[in-house]
Amino acid sequence: MGIIPYIVVSSILFICGIIVMIARKNIIAILLGIELVLNAAALNFVAFTKFNNMNIDGHVFALFIILVAAAEAAVGLAIVIRFFQVRESIHIDSATQLQS
Amino acid sequence: MNETIVSYLGETLGYSFNWAGTLAIFFIASLVLASIMALIGGLGTYAERKISADIQMRYGPNRVGPYGILQFLADGVKMLLKEDCIPRDSDRFIFKLSPMLCLVGVLASLAVLPTSSGFILANLNVGIFYLLGATSVVGVGIFLGGYSSNSKWAMLGGMRGAAQIISYEVPVTLTILSIVLIAGGLSMNTLVGGQGAFPNDWYIFHNPFSFIGFFVYFIGSLAETNRAPFDIPEAESELVSGYHTEFSGMRFAFFALSEYIEVFVLCAIAAALFLGGYNIPFGLQEHGLLGQLLQLAVFFTKSFFLYYVVIWIRWTLPRMRVDHLMILCWKYLTPIALLNLVGTAVWMYCFDGKSFYMILKQLFVASGQ
Amino acid sequence: MNMFLMIIFTLSAFLAVGGALSVAFAKNLIHACVYLLFSLIGVAGLYLTLGAEFVAATQLVVYVGGVVVLLLFAIMLTGGSNLHHVTSRFGLESTPLMGNLRTYIMGIVTALLLIAVLCNVLQGSISASAVVESKFSSTVEQIGVKLVTDHILAFEISSVLLLGALVGAAIIARPYRSSETEN
Repeated sequence: MGIIPYIVVSSILFICGIIVMIARKNIIAILLGIELVLNAAALNFVAFTKFNNMNIDGHVFALFIILVAAAEAAVGLAIVIRFFQVRESIHIDSATQLQS
Repeated sequence: MNETIVSYLGETLGYSFNWAGTLAIFFIASLVLASIMALIGGLGTYAERKISADIQMRYGPNRVGPYGILQFLADGVKMLLKEDCIPRDSDRFIFKLSPMLCLVGVLASLAVLPTSSGFILANLNVGIFYLLGATSVVGVGIFLGGYSSNSKWAMLGGMRGAAQIISYEVPVTLTILSIVLIAGGLSMNTLVGGQGAFPNDWYIFHNPFSFIGFFVYFIGSLAETNRAPFDIPEAESELVSGYHTEFSGMRFAFFALSEYIEVFVLCAIAAALFLGGYNIPFGLQEHGLLGQLLQLAVFFTKSFFLYYVVIWIRWTLPRMRVDHLMILCWKYLTPIALLNLVGTAVWMYCFDGKSFYMILKQLFVASGQ
Repeated sequence: MNMFLMIIFTLSAFLAVGGALSVAFAKNLIHACVYLLFSLIGVAGLYLTLGAEFVAATQLVVYVGGVVVLLLFAIMLTGGSNLHHVTSRFGLESTPLMGNLRTYIMGIVTALLLIAVLCNVLQGSISASAVVESKFSSTVEQIGVKLVTDHILAFEISSVLLLGALVGAAIIARPYRSSETEN
């Protein structure tokens, strides 16, 4: 089993993430897409670590990606909840002003 | 150090298995372990009722079988025959999924349960970390169960349950981390193997910080499994019965079973991390099958003792209020756990990893000379 | 043992790919979130087949225990999925929250373009490098040593990032009314 199956899986995850990010108009749904894209990137890092070079840097990078995704989800969802309190909508097109 | 049950069997029998044999052994071992755990979960309901009856000076169930011990089988048959109600406005897909998520999370955590030095399904090198991840699926199941029922009581119960499980994961994880510092590894066999058979070698008496850590872990695991006095997600007096209000029949049985098995798993982890796990004295573990059986007996005795304490606490203490619960977690347990982590690190640095008992012994020997 | 890995890989890949496709095309937001949970568990299984146990366990702890529950909470606090048709401030009917055919076509076209570019790039790199399955073991000690030697700066900065995220999220998501009375 080579690296190709892993790249296929991660690219499908990436496509799905991009489709979700563009097609959905719900801010939380867009965050779901971002999680998928980040996962695809981390999966690629780990796969290339195993098949292309032997040092463990890819795993460390995948850990950092997971960490950044967690921080991004926390702050992003806090912003979404705040936005919902101000605007009473979570439509991405209603976010047109920097200041309320 | 064996990695899985398969490699242990291969070493003792002197036979190497191909992939089909490996798969078959894993399948049978998982089936055996899951059946034993289902039996323990069922007997847990019986024990709960019998012990509560004992505490309240009642008889408890005493009609089915000798001392009513077959009551849980009768309950199981009753649950199987009950009508499977699904509320009309509920989210059917999630409603059907959530009990399974709860049960899957608990059963997945059994893979690293160190019942004896040979019978551990897979000795992953991240064992305890994997267990934390697997048990966190239960929180998602509880939340989805509450959300999908489309009922106010269930919704409140599910929200409380998820918030409580996420919050109490912090002190529990930090306490486990301090034990990992002492043992120097994440795999279950490393964690248990670093201890001895007698209390002076257990990690609970290794240093003052781990002694406090045991109680922090125990309180946190009580809250993580939604047991009294932290059972506000299913508080009968305010929410009808919490997140499983709308569930009936086998779906309710899945929730109940997963709760009882999770209590057992967390008690077993407490026994393995702090109370010496499966270690037996006098080199008896070298005796092949007899040693394994003795190790199993020791492990299950310690776990059942903690299980008894959990039930005892449930029928002794009153329920906490929800804000008191959060205050206890974030203002008391988390700082104590952080302090424990730092204190353990300092202890390991200053005393070169020696336990309290060893230092005392050294001082005693030095003063004697 | 190779066959064993193959079985785990197939199951995990199906879970990951099926979950991701369902996230992209689900009608209901909370269902999409549950499918995302499956997809993440599948990716954790893929990490296991790649010999990265620590990353897999971290994936389970962080995503399943944290991020998915957080997303579910946010969905519930923002009114669930019952806001399908919305009008903008000017009274015009805007695109439905879960997207319509037009947005999906846009998304798929963009994704195909990106994939075409990626294929062109990756084709060269994969065929150029000799793809050999190397024997190595990823232990927790190795990752820990890497984290405090080679990647010490990133490690420390990430701790500051997490602290900032914690404080920032707590301040941003404060209840609206209490902040109004303070100002």
